[in-house]
Amino acid sequence: MPSLAFTIAARIIRQLIRDRRTIVLIIAVPLVVMTLIGLSFPEGQVLDYIAPALLATLALFFSFLLTGISFLRERSQGTMERLMASPVSRLDIVLGYLFGFFLFALTQTLIIVLFTIYVLDVHYSGDLWQIFIFQVVVIAGAVNLGIFISTFARNEFQMVQFIPLILFPQIFLCGVIWPVEQMPEYLQWLARFLPLKYGVDGLRDIMLFGKGLADVAFEMLVLAGFAVATSILAAFTLRRGTGG
Amino acid sequence: MSHISLRCLVLLWPDTHILAEMPLSGLLTMILLLCTVTMVESNSDRPAVEVKEAFFNYGSVKALDGLSLVVPTGISFGLLGPNGAGKTTLIRVLVGLLKVKRGNILVLGEKPSRRTAHLMGYMPQLHSLYSELSVCQNVDFFARIFRMASRIERAQRVEEAIRLIDLWPRRNDAVMKLSGGMRQRVSLACAIVHNPPVLVLDEPTVGLDPELRVTFWEHFAELNRRGVTIIISSHTMDDAAHCDGLAFVRDGKVIAQGTPDELRRDAGQDTLEGAFLFFARNREENSA
Repeated sequence: MPSLAFTIAARIIRQLIRDRRTIVLIIAVPLVVMTLIGLSFPEGQVLDYIAPALLATLALFFSFLLTGISFLRERSQGTMERLMASPVSRLDIVLGYLFGFFLFALTQTLIIVLFTIYVLDVHYSGDLWQIFIFQVVVIAGAVNLGIFISTFARNEFQMVQFIPLILFPQIFLCGVIWPVEQMPEYLQWLARFLPLKYGVDGLRDIMLFGKGLADVAFEMLVLAGFAVATSILAAFTLRRGTGG
Repeated sequence: MSHISLRCLVLLWPDTHILAEMPLSGLLTMILLLCTVTMVESNSDRPAVEVKEAFFNYGSVKALDGLSLVVPTGISFGLLGPNGAGKTTLIRVLVGLLKVKRGNILVLGEKPSRRTAHLMGYMPQLHSLYSELSVCQNVDFFARIFRMASRIERAQRVEEAIRLIDLWPRRNDAVMKLSGGMRQRVSLACAIVHNPPVLVLDEPTVGLDPELRVTFWEHFAELNRRGVTIIISSHTMDDAAHCDGLAFVRDGKVIAQGTPDELRRDAGQDTLEGAFLFFARNREENSA
């Protein structure tokens, strides 16, 4: 990783640590959401079944939102313009953001997973560390997707409009609510292009059927490919000029 | 370069056997010396900025319409003109944020790019700071971004930049706790921390009270004394009076260029405001 990307990542971490309200929200919001979900499914078996899908969905949702809005803020405050007029490359910026936000997204995911397992008492078959490793790949894609999509929004309002467009179809089409196999064929075909499908499938295999990372290598490979593709796209779409 | 230097050597010593008898180390030292002299001379002769026939448009709107400009080194140079005249576009072109559709842009003899970014310090119109971070952290971040690798050198430059803007006692305060004027000063510190030979400031005095405006111009004068070329965009004639050189910009073109005195004299006006209006009307009449 280039040194300037490290510098950007360190700055993001320092910046977020100094923003205590954001830190509290990063921790508290997923816990409140998971508590409500836990209370909505008093029957343990149902919760056991939907928990893996929810873990993948929440990791995607929160990481996408956190990165997308932060990246957009950097552009709307003018700091991005300043960065682009410096010796920093576009790839440095994308990698810096990826590593900077990755830490927070990972912390958030750790909290969600541990809360789901130990407080909501969801039963799982696989190893806990394998669940974390799998989530890391989901988060990497979500962080880069947030950066990529934010380059198309000019303000926070526009960025929020992308949430239903990018996330909701994935929630409905990727087996979170009902199995993909029960959907019409063309929707099943469409689901193959959505990263959340592979996140849900992989986590279900690990948590419900006790499979190992080697068994879900295909899903991990697709998610890793998605992360690489979105980071390249994000670097490509990041304009040196703001055009304003 | 060495080819030119060797020619100079032969001119200096037409009797070639002296050159032949000179030890190799002596000859090399001589060549190096001449190369250095040539480079120093060409650097000092070279203007800070050269813009030739620059064109840029946003869709159907012409932002730069064949704009040409030369800015000598070591002075404060003002780009004066109304809103929408093309000043910010020109500044973005100079710092490499925008590429001209046509024309030639040189900053210290180099085409603006990421490779030459260290030659320029850029202060955008917005404060463009990380509000959660302290003054020191903001300035230090930009020092790192401009690859000031040595910790000692970086610490010295950060302190120097913050002291220059008189905010050393507030160095550990978060930027969000500072007033608008103080933020402008921090923004200036971020632009100068890597010691750029050319500083480009986009309306740096907008929204500042008169006292702070004077302070800013004192900072700029200090930077000029250190040999820094400052290019400032503004639409207030108050700023124009402080500049050593001015270009009146309108409709993406330079309508007049010179020192404030020259512009007033050429227009036969007492004020720069009057001079600007004179050249603007002149241009309108000529184009009609």
